[in-house]
Amino acid sequence: MSERYDAVLVGAGHNGLVCAAYLARAGLSVLVLERREMVGGAAVTEELFPGFRFDSCAHRLGHLDRRVVRDLGLAGYGLQVRRPDLAVLAPLPGGDHLAIWRDPEVTAEEIRRHSPDDALRWPRFRAAMAPAVRFLGHVAAATPPELPPAASRDLLTFMQLGLRLRRMGRRELTEVLRVLPMSAAELLDEWFESEPLRGLLAAMGVTGLFMGPRAAGTAYLLLGGLSPEAEVLRPTELVAGGMGRLTEALAGAAVASGARIRTGVDVERIRTRDAKVTGVVLSDGEEVGAARVVSNVDPKRTFLGLVEPTELDPEFVRKVKNIRTRGAFAKVHLALAELPRFDGTAGRPELLEGLIRISPSLDYLERAYDDAKYGGVSRSPYLEVVIPSLTDPTLAPPGQHAMSVYVQYAPYELEEGSWNDHRRESLGDRVVGTLSAYAPGIDEAILDRHVLTPADLEDVYGLTGGCASHGEMALDQLFFMRPVPECAQYRTPVRDLYLCGAGTHPGGGVSGTAGYNAAREVLRAGKRAE
Amino acid sequence: MKCKDYDAVIVGGGHNGLVNAAYLARAGLDVLVLERRPVLGGAAVTEEIHPGFQYSVCSYVVSLLRPEIIQDLELARHGLEILPLESTFTPLPNDDYLVRWADHDQTRRELYRHSPRDAEAYDEFGKLMVQLAMAVKPILGMAPPDPGSMRPGNLAKMARLGRHFRGLGSEKLAALVKLMTMSSADYLDEWFETEALKATMAASGIIGTFLGPRSPGTAYVLLHHYIGEIDGAFRAWGFARGGTGAVSEAIASAARGLGTEIRTEASVERILSKDGRAVGVALESGEEIRARLVVSGLDPKRTFLGLLEPDELPPEFVDSIRRFRMRGSSGKVNLALAELPHFTALPGVGPHLRGAMSISPSVEYLERAYDDAKYGEFSRRPYMDIVIPSMIDPSMAPPGKHVMSIFVQYAPYALNGGWDDERREAFGDTVIDTLCRYAPNVRDAIIHRQVLTPADMEETFGLTEGNIFHGELSLHQLFFLRPAPAWANYRTPLANLYQCGSGTHPGGGVCGAPGRLAAQQILKEHRP
Repeated sequence: MSERYDAVLVGAGHNGLVCAAYLARAGLSVLVLERREMVGGAAVTEELFPGFRFDSCAHRLGHLDRRVVRDLGLAGYGLQVRRPDLAVLAPLPGGDHLAIWRDPEVTAEEIRRHSPDDALRWPRFRAAMAPAVRFLGHVAAATPPELPPAASRDLLTFMQLGLRLRRMGRRELTEVLRVLPMSAAELLDEWFESEPLRGLLAAMGVTGLFMGPRAAGTAYLLLGGLSPEAEVLRPTELVAGGMGRLTEALAGAAVASGARIRTGVDVERIRTRDAKVTGVVLSDGEEVGAARVVSNVDPKRTFLGLVEPTELDPEFVRKVKNIRTRGAFAKVHLALAELPRFDGTAGRPELLEGLIRISPSLDYLERAYDDAKYGGVSRSPYLEVVIPSLTDPTLAPPGQHAMSVYVQYAPYELEEGSWNDHRRESLGDRVVGTLSAYAPGIDEAILDRHVLTPADLEDVYGLTGGCASHGEMALDQLFFMRPVPECAQYRTPVRDLYLCGAGTHPGGGVSGTAGYNAAREVLRAGKRAE
Repeated sequence: MKCKDYDAVIVGGGHNGLVNAAYLARAGLDVLVLERRPVLGGAAVTEEIHPGFQYSVCSYVVSLLRPEIIQDLELARHGLEILPLESTFTPLPNDDYLVRWADHDQTRRELYRHSPRDAEAYDEFGKLMVQLAMAVKPILGMAPPDPGSMRPGNLAKMARLGRHFRGLGSEKLAALVKLMTMSSADYLDEWFETEALKATMAASGIIGTFLGPRSPGTAYVLLHHYIGEIDGAFRAWGFARGGTGAVSEAIASAARGLGTEIRTEASVERILSKDGRAVGVALESGEEIRARLVVSGLDPKRTFLGLLEPDELPPEFVDSIRRFRMRGSSGKVNLALAELPHFTALPGVGPHLRGAMSISPSVEYLERAYDDAKYGEFSRRPYMDIVIPSMIDPSMAPPGKHVMSIFVQYAPYALNGGWDDERREAFGDTVIDTLCRYAPNVRDAIIHRQVLTPADMEETFGLTEGNIFHGELSLHQLFFLRPAPAWANYRTPLANLYQCGSGTHPGGGVCGAPGRLAAQQILKEHRP
């Protein structure tokens, strides 16, 4: 064995890079291994057509962990986060739209056009949800306790979270506990009547999920999109220069702390001896020794693909196989000759600077899901669109635009057979068709089109089942259940093998929190060993 | 009527109200039960709708009636006899079928025919479910603690609950979390591959809910069927001799024996309050009855929004009750039949007709039935749970003839355009059409047909929005949130007013637990 590291990271996704940077800063010798030629995993920017650069998988940040930005000094490595004044634009059939701005007053005015009652309830909604949103923030930052709490530390976590609940006051506390298992539909039924607003908010509850807005637990995801501050919705966060700039900055910080990163190397096996990790084997046969291995790859790939099957208890393997990773989305990237003309936005390009969300009503979403649950692509899919080139001219040739479209629902498993070129193109056609209803003429402005089906997302980014969150963010797969109870503390049944990806608490979205929490646990275990 | 003051007046002579009355009377309270209808039992009634045919009009099976109630109130002595429903028969469109029998080996052989793997898994599954049922049983038998309260008694209860859960160990705890949060389809997918088996089991998770088998939160209802004890045996369904009304009559008889006074056709119009306390009730007839305590067996909306003025209650409580979700999703069709149904999948008069017959060929079938309801229509092909009570108790119908009870889902209360006579009959036709795909002779055997839509259930039985459980059994409406946070302990913001219906913990079904737990709470505070 040629080299030996204190820690080898499998996969240079954003969580892996965050974890690597923290471990390196703590003085460990760290090697990060990435299968692709570039770092970043699902947070990358790629030139899909000459002159057009796209965020080819994740296209916006999901509550990027402030501790990470600060500790690693990411600004010094080129990270610039943009928060457009306009958070979400929801174009509606018939040419109207609903715009959610960062300024709550302006937003309330806009909502008033659709429902005066809803406009009055908008600030009250924030106030009512704020305790739950804050609480979830604390939960995300914590390592989930073991079930039942075994160590005193687990009890402490429980008590700390319990105290936070207690401090809220009686009404807020029961409200938090009541809302968490609700469906987005149930929560919104209690608050809002205008369909455009309900559709826009409900979409936050189902993004990335193979569920509709009437599924219990979708209120929890919806809360994740809220801010406890006056702006109500969490500001839309884009990365200047594309998402790849974030992961490049993370890589820069990791390398500066002493980590080594190798790309274009495929880890084939995690090596073990006497039920303990000894290193990794690459596809070309090269072996790298490691005192510990941290996997940023999803739990199914990690345990069913990389670990020797004989190292794992069959019951544990059964649980891992049962992790639901039903991909629900596709991506479409359009090179456009001009800015698309969404109805009612003529002369107001600022309306297109945030997210553009096609989800005009709650039932629209539900029907989109209906198609998918029987194995079809939504006839009218929910779309989340960004046009980063609007504010960042480096992403497209002058006057032209790069548009990224997140498409839901596109099931990984199709009733009619597996994904192929024909089905990929018909998915692309359907998305363009849907867009044309809101932005007439967009089809004529398309210079090039690139479509990633859930199967492609699995192939390219290694997302099992095409599931971006490495395991659905459903109630039974959260917190101490994520990804399986045995691994909820980032440790695994294999000694010195850790997980740090989106498959662990707190889950998907480009936040880096899983990587941060995992690094904390790795270092804690290291201290105990000394 | 003389002006007598009672210790307690119970509003509603449903089975929970009667259980509550019996327990209060047993403790020495002077109790009066007031029932709006001429028959006692609420949704648990037997009525001769067509001459000679006894229908269990609404509720039709006994699965959850608490054994301690049967014991405490000596219901057997009062005529309660529960006859086991011994099988669940699922006919399939391809003329195959699946039956689960009371006899374990027989079920195993049947499952083996469909999938050897499932036959193996079935035993394991059953074992786990029984363990989990044991784990939640104490919770169903306790008044929920209030996580928001710092009172010592409440904290002690929370601590006890915490210890109980810790004692389960990690494997069972995790299994319990999954059961509480998953959809029945996902949960069963982890165990089985036979569609008919998964669907028929999943169906029990959706009964009475406005959810489909793929909706998270439906798995835990599977558990209820492992809690339904009859004579201490897990998982058996039962049917009362004389129909479900016989359960109510036995409880009423016990209550009377303990000194309870019961009046029917006495409709309560208002709960009377004075200085923030309930002091009695006013009947529609104008009569006023004074009582130290008032206990309502009606659903929370009727009780708090119908029998009281909003200004008698705190506004946030009224808000909570207003947003309590009630969407009824089921209907009922009762048939008088000249002959037994002949299922093409399993022809002839066999033991399968003595059990439940379930029209639930696949999970997708159920999910599509739900899709219709989601958008305001009744299912074009509904899920149906069928029993033929006269097979077990011949006194329910004239000799040689039969009564059939068909529970139908989904039939949304908020039907597009609303329910009327025409839509009711169309709904009835859909049910018969669906049944005749499996048992074609039924159509010509019908002597009489009674169709109950959710709107009918609201009108006849006083079930708001036709919800058979007095409120949806969704996660956020259970335990300490049922029916409202801080008021899950059978008390209400109005002093001396209590609630004892299915809208309180542990919820619906003919189990009597809310009535009993409410009585315990009342007696703790008001020893005679």
